[in-house]
Amino acid sequence: MKDWSAALVQGLKANGIEFAAHVPDEVTARVLTLLEADPAFTVIPVTREEEGVAVLAGASLGGKRGALILQGSGVGNAINALASLCIGSQIPLLLIISERGRLGEFNPVQVPLGRAIPRIFEALGIQSFWINRTEEIGPVLDGAAGLAFASSLPVALLLPTTLTGGKRLK
Amino acid sequence: MTQAHMTRLDATTALLRLLDRQPVLSNLGGNSYDLLAAGDRPENFYTWGAMGSVSSVGLGLALSRPSLRVVVLDGDGSLLMNLGSLATIAALRPANLVHIVFDNRMYETTGGQATHTARGASLTAIGRGAGLTQVEDVDTIEAFSRAVGRALKDPGPWLIVALVDASASTSKIPRRPIYFKDRFVEAIRSQ
Repeated sequence: MKDWSAALVQGLKANGIEFAAHVPDEVTARVLTLLEADPAFTVIPVTREEEGVAVLAGASLGGKRGALILQGSGVGNAINALASLCIGSQIPLLLIISERGRLGEFNPVQVPLGRAIPRIFEALGIQSFWINRTEEIGPVLDGAAGLAFASSLPVALLLPTTLTGGKRLK
Repeated sequence: MTQAHMTRLDATTALLRLLDRQPVLSNLGGNSYDLLAAGDRPENFYTWGAMGSVSSVGLGLALSRPSLRVVVLDGDGSLLMNLGSLATIAALRPANLVHIVFDNRMYETTGGQATHTARGASLTAIGRGAGLTQVEDVDTIEAFSRAVGRALKDPGPWLIVALVDASASTSKIPRRPIYFKDRFVEAIRSQ
């Protein structure tokens, strides 16, 4: 597998994203390490995904672009802030989501939310895009950042296990 | 249990007298109504939903604009919904964040139901436990003004928990969130 993590971090940087909030995740561990090592990024570990949405909303008010890096299960924790803070007040950010509950899932309780996420985003009017191959990361990130910051709305990027390798059963 | 000796509106009015053009972010409900009544200004950002999120919005703004002193007006019910933010603020240590919690020991907007601070939960103890060191507990307008005066000058992050009367809110805000957001962004961009 090519280095999708490095491509992702490069894409964030190329689009002027300077703030990255996250709740740790095995799949994006290397992304977080690369972000931490790069002084261009302010990295904010948060206790819960909704908190991350709000921190990035504040950074946006201060003129900085942000991305929240989260596991699919965390989308459920972020919905109220996405709806009533970001969409309600038109505050943009990118959501970078490593999928759970879909291809290759080993944990049955991850499935209900994982399979619902595309329809949850659709119901909220949040546009979401899958990135299936490493070569797509640059162009899709460019497009998603353009869309999010032109429309002043959250936009989601979904990283399937076919791109990332997913979380392994230990 | 200590009694409150100030109203939230009096405290908010005292706060605005101490401010120049520093941004103030208020949580939904009574804090936003009283901030508007005490003095609407372009540097006010009123939140309308996402209860509990205002301390995190303040953290993000403080980190993105280190030269601005950022004031957050939180409530006891709101903060109890986002206690993790205290640990995140303590971990990131933004020196320019002043987090004020108006504690009236109730969910005022929904009819006055008791919050857990009415039954013994101490937000200052939780703040210290989260790792914050600049923590003040105040219950008079004089002590509140002194604490805020220090917090606007000395390095934070600050947590000021102000015990206030459960007074009714005094104004209703025109609900135009996008207008207020744009106005706020313009007002702080030039600073």
